[in-house]
Amino acid sequence: MIVFECMATAIGLSMVFSLIRVLRGPTPLDRLTGLGLIGTKTVVLLVLLGSIAGRQDMFVDIAMAYALVSFIGVLSLADYYDTLGARS
Amino acid sequence: MIVVVWAFLFTGIFFIFTGIVGVLRLPDFYCRLHAVGKCDTLGVGLMLTGLAIHEGFTLVSLKVIAIIIFIGLANPTATHALARAAMKSGMKPWTRGDDPAC
Repeated sequence: MIVFECMATAIGLSMVFSLIRVLRGPTPLDRLTGLGLIGTKTVVLLVLLGSIAGRQDMFVDIAMAYALVSFIGVLSLADYYDTLGARS
Repeated sequence: MIVVVWAFLFTGIFFIFTGIVGVLRLPDFYCRLHAVGKCDTLGVGLMLTGLAIHEGFTLVSLKVIAIIIFIGLANPTATHALARAAMKSGMKPWTRGDDPAC
């Protein structure tokens, strides 16, 4: 379906715009925010790609695992900066 | 049915782009986090809801609904952890007095 391809393109475009914030962010936490944005958008992109390719059963599992990994990554880095700020 | 799916998808992409505009344009880390925490969660949830409706009632749509629930719990948690880390590391919130041009 052509709408799904257009949606996948739009999500890719929004990931590029998030990457601008990752590259320009004044503080490390700004960059981390942009990375979290890209991570949540990748989940939608994976489910959309599964619908386009007709292999939803495979891509949904990948999206689930990616959501968990991205969440744990952002949380652990935020915890790192938390302890760093508490120490200084 | 297909109209409902398209409505969910277009509303979701609208909210995602609203969040992107907020992340790129707002002046301060906390303001940007405010844009991310709400717009992104709602946009991603709406788009995944549309895709789950498109699947019909199968195991795949059940897994998509599980992803929606997980993102609805995880995204605010990550936002809260980031704001807490910024507050602990001594980042001051932006006020109007800092920037006379706005």
